[in-house]
Amino acid sequence: MNLIACCRSLGRRFFRRAKIDNELEEEVRAHIQLRADRLERDGLDRAEAERRARIEFGSTERFKEECREELGGNSIDALIQDVRFSLRTLRKSPGFFAVAVITLALGIGATVAAFSVVNAVLLRPFGFSDSDRLLWIYSQRSDNPRGNFSLPEYCDYRDQTTSFDGLAAIASFNPSLSDSGEPERVQGVKVSANACNILGLRSLIGRTLIADDDKNGAEPVVLLSYGVWARRYAKNPDVIGRSVNVNGESRQIIGVLPSSFALPGLDTDIVAPLQPESDPRRNARNSVNFLRMVGRLKPHVTPQQAHAELDSIRQNLRRQYPDAYTGKIGVTIVPLTEEIVANVRAVLLTIFCAAAAVLLIGCTNLAGISLSRAGARQRELAVRTALGATRRRLIRLLMAESFVVAVIGGSLGLIVEKLGQRALLRLVPTDLPRIESFAIDWKVLAFAAVVTLLATIICGLAPAWLLSRSDLRDTLVSGGRGFAGGGLQSQLRTWLVSGQIALALVLLANAGLLFRSFARLSSEKPGFDSTNVLTVRFSLPQVTYTDRETIVQFYEKLQSRLSALPGLQNSGLVSILPLAPKSVSFVHFTRPDKPPAKSEDTPSTNYRMITPDYFRAMGIPLLAGRYFTEEDNGDRPPVAIVSSVLVKNHFADRSPLGQRVMVDDNDAAPRAIEIVGVVGPVKQANLETPARPDMYVPLRQVHKDGVPWLRNSNYCVAKINSEVGGATYSASRLRAALRDVDPSVAVGNVRPMSEVLGAALASRRFSLLLVGSFSGAALFLAAAGLYAVISYGIQQRTREIGVRLALGATRGRILAMIFKEGALLLGAGVAAGLAIALMLAQLVASQMYEVSERDPFSFALVSVLLGIISLLACWIASRRAMNVDPVVALRCE
Amino acid sequence: MSDEAELLPGTLDLLILKAVSLGPLHGYAVLARIEQISARTLFIEQGALYPALFRLVRQGLLKTEWGKSENNRRAKFYELTAKGRKRLQEETDWWNRLATAIGTALNARPQET
Repeated sequence: MNLIACCRSLGRRFFRRAKIDNELEEEVRAHIQLRADRLERDGLDRAEAERRARIEFGSTERFKEECREELGGNSIDALIQDVRFSLRTLRKSPGFFAVAVITLALGIGATVAAFSVVNAVLLRPFGFSDSDRLLWIYSQRSDNPRGNFSLPEYCDYRDQTTSFDGLAAIASFNPSLSDSGEPERVQGVKVSANACNILGLRSLIGRTLIADDDKNGAEPVVLLSYGVWARRYAKNPDVIGRSVNVNGESRQIIGVLPSSFALPGLDTDIVAPLQPESDPRRNARNSVNFLRMVGRLKPHVTPQQAHAELDSIRQNLRRQYPDAYTGKIGVTIVPLTEEIVANVRAVLLTIFCAAAAVLLIGCTNLAGISLSRAGARQRELAVRTALGATRRRLIRLLMAESFVVAVIGGSLGLIVEKLGQRALLRLVPTDLPRIESFAIDWKVLAFAAVVTLLATIICGLAPAWLLSRSDLRDTLVSGGRGFAGGGLQSQLRTWLVSGQIALALVLLANAGLLFRSFARLSSEKPGFDSTNVLTVRFSLPQVTYTDRETIVQFYEKLQSRLSALPGLQNSGLVSILPLAPKSVSFVHFTRPDKPPAKSEDTPSTNYRMITPDYFRAMGIPLLAGRYFTEEDNGDRPPVAIVSSVLVKNHFADRSPLGQRVMVDDNDAAPRAIEIVGVVGPVKQANLETPARPDMYVPLRQVHKDGVPWLRNSNYCVAKINSEVGGATYSASRLRAALRDVDPSVAVGNVRPMSEVLGAALASRRFSLLLVGSFSGAALFLAAAGLYAVISYGIQQRTREIGVRLALGATRGRILAMIFKEGALLLGAGVAAGLAIALMLAQLVASQMYEVSERDPFSFALVSVLLGIISLLACWIASRRAMNVDPVVALRCE
Repeated sequence: MSDEAELLPGTLDLLILKAVSLGPLHGYAVLARIEQISARTLFIEQGALYPALFRLVRQGLLKTEWGKSENNRRAKFYELTAKGRKRLQEETDWWNRLATAIGTALNARPQET
C-alpha cells in the first residue's frame, strides 16, 4: 500500500465516512423508491410496492459494507484488523512476545543511544558558516608537526597572505573567573577579534567579538561558552552586560556562544580578545610560541595553494630573522572541523557499528524464531488461504505482527535509550568535544523510526516471504505436520545463524583487540608513582603576582602551611602535571660544544618549573647527581635537572653532570644552565607515546619571561600518608591551605594522581567498555540463535530420532549427529567472521596500542571463546534429543 | 425464469459500461437497461450492482452526479468517462474475439479436427 493511498483512505475513513454513509443511504432510498414506482405502475398499491422493493433489495447494511470496501477505505480497516489480530496472537505466546520486545528494545535503545552521541559530536553542524573553507594551521616543527606560532609570526602571516580572507590567532587561556563567590579556574581561549568573523560564528545571545575589541584601550570583554553559561549562570539571559572578574581584571560579558562551538585541542569555557597589537610580545621576534591560527580560504583557492603560500612567507621570514625560526620547518594545514573530531571519529563509529551489529543479530534471531513459529502456524495460514485470503493479505498479516513487535520494542527502546544515555554520559570521557549539550533532536528520532522500520522488515520479511511462497494446499492435505517449505526454511535459518555467529565474532575480535591494547597500555610505567598523591591546579591573579619574587613568596608561605599538616609526607609545585590534558611547554637547547649543523635541527625538550620536593612527592627517581635544594635561588647560577631520555639522546658521549647547555627559555637570547642531576623518564603528554626528553628548572630561578606561564599554570602535588585521615580529609586541607595563603587564588578540584592516570586511559576504557558489552550481548544472542535452531531441528526430527533409536542407534551417536550439525554452522560462521574481521582490521588500527590490528592471539582467543559458548548452547539444546522416547516419538505421528 | 442466463465472471462490469454508454443513468435504471438490452435474458442481482458501480467509479471509468429522475425523484446518475468509453471499446473487441473463437471451436466438425 503506497503512502498516498494510505493517507487518502485515512482521510476517507476519518473525515468522509459520515458523508459517504449519507450518500449511500440516499442512493438506497432512491433505488427503492424508483423500484416501487415501477411496481406501482404494474398495479400494486404504494405500500405493498415499497415493501416488495425493500425485500428485493435485501440488507442495506451489507450493501453499505460492500460499497465501502469498493471505495477503498478498507485498507486502514484491514490494517487495524491485522494489528488487532497480531496482538491477539502475540498474547497467546507471551514468551515469544517478551523475548522479541526485550531484544528489540535493548537493540534499538543501544543503537539510538550510540547514534545520539555520534550525532552530537560528529554530525551536528559546528555553527561555523561554510565550514569546509576553514583551515586550522599549526607551525610544523622538527619534533612536533602541531607546534605553535609566536605573535610576530602570526602578524606577518596575517598581513602578507593573499590566499585567506583572514587569519585569526588563538591561544589557550586558563584564567580564574569570579563574580561574588569563590574564584573558579576555567579553560578558555584568547582569540584575535577577527576570529568570530572568520569562523562565521553567531552568538546564542548577545554579540560576538568585533574588530574594535582588539583596539588598544578597548573595554575588556568576554564571551561565555554555553556550558559555563548553563552551569554557572543557570542560562540566565541577563548576564549580558554584567561584569565578571577574569584573572583579577573586570571584564564585561557580551555574549554566549552556541553549544555546538568547539575548537581542536582547546577548551572553550570562555573566549576573550587577544589584542595582538598592544601585546608586549608584538615585536619580540624570539618570544614564546603560543598561538594557533585559523583561516578562511578565499573562493577558488585550494588548501595546497594556501599551504605553498604560507610556506614561502615562512621562508622569507626565516631569512630575515634566522634566530626566531629555530626548529620551525613548515606549516601544517588541516580542515578545521576534521581536526576537531579526528581523534574521536574512529572510536565513536566503532561503538556505533557495534551497537548496530547487536541490533542486527537480535533481529536475525527474531527472524529465526518467527520462522519456527510460521512453521507451526502453517495450517492456520493454509486455512486462511483456502477461505480466500490473498498472498498479499497473508504477507501483510505476518508483517503486521513484526510491525507490532517492532513498534512496541522501539518505543521501549527510546526509554532504554534515555536510561542508556544517562549511563553513557557518566562513562563518556570529558575530552569528547561538543558532548555537553547532548540531546535527542529530530535526527535522533528519525533515526529511531528508520531503525524500527528496518527491524520490522528484517524480522518479518523472511518468514512472510517463505510462507506465502510455499504451497499451502499441500499443507492442508498433509495435515500441517510436514512443513511444505521445510527445506528452504531450514536453509534460511542456517544462513541466519551462521551470519549471526560471524557478526558476533567480528565484534568479539574487536573487543579482544581493544582489551589487549588497553591491558598493554595500563601496564605501561608512567615514570612516577601515583599512590597516595593528591594534585590540585591553581592560578595566581595577575595583579598581585607580577614577578618571580611574589610567586616565590607565595610558595614559601604555602610550604610552611603544608609542612605543618599532619599526614603529609612531601609536597611540591610543578608548572605542568604529567598527563595533564592539553598542556605543552617545551624549549630548545644546544650543547655549546656540539652546535647543530642547521638551526632546524636544534633539539627541544619538555620544560617544567618545579620546587625541590616535587620529585620526592611524585616518586620520580634520581639516577645521578642531585635534586634541587632551596639554595638554588636567584642569586646562584642557574641549574637544571634532565631526564635519562635527554641524556641518552644528547649526552651519549659524556656525563651531563656539570655540563652547561644553552636553553632558549626567554624572549631575549638562550641562557647557560648547568645540569646538576638526572632523573627517570616521565610520560608527560600521554601514555601512548614514549617518554620525551624532560628538563626541570627550579621555581626560584625562573626567568622573568616564564612568570606569566607560571602564574597561569601551577599544580601542587602532595604525597600523603594513607593512614592519616584518608584522601578526602587531606584534600580539603590542601585546598584550605592554598586559600589561607591567598583567597584570591583560583583553586581547582583536588584530584588524586591515580585519577589523572585513569583519565589518560578514559577514552580507551570508554570504548572498551561499550564494545565489550556489545560483543557480550552479541555472543549471548548468537548462542541463543544457535540454541534455537538446533532445538527446533531436534523438535522437527523427533520422529527421525525415534526411528534411529528404535533401530539401535546409541544416544552418543545421536548426540554426535546433532553436534556435527552445530559445529558445521559454527565453523561456517567463525570462518566468515574471521574473514570479515581481518578485512575490517585496518579500520581499528588507529585504536591499537602495541598490538597488531591482526593480532593472531586475540583472534584465536575469541574464536575459542565463541566456540565454547556455542557448543554449550548446542549441548543444552541436545539434551532434549537425549530424552526422546522412541515409542512416544513414533506414536506422535 | 428458466431462460435466465447466469453471468460469466467479469462480464457485469462490461454490461454496466455498455448500459451507461447510451446516456447517464441512475442505479435502478442501469438494472432496467441491462434487462432491456439483453432482451430480458440477463438479470442482475440488486446487491451486486452497486459494488460494481462503485468499483467502476473508483477506477475512473464512470463519473457520478446527483440529478432528477424521469418521475422527479432525486437520484445519483452514472455517466461514462472518456477512459470508460475506451475501456468499453477494448472489452467489447476482446469479448467478440473470444465469442467468435469459442463459437468456431464448438461448431467444429469431426473431419476438421
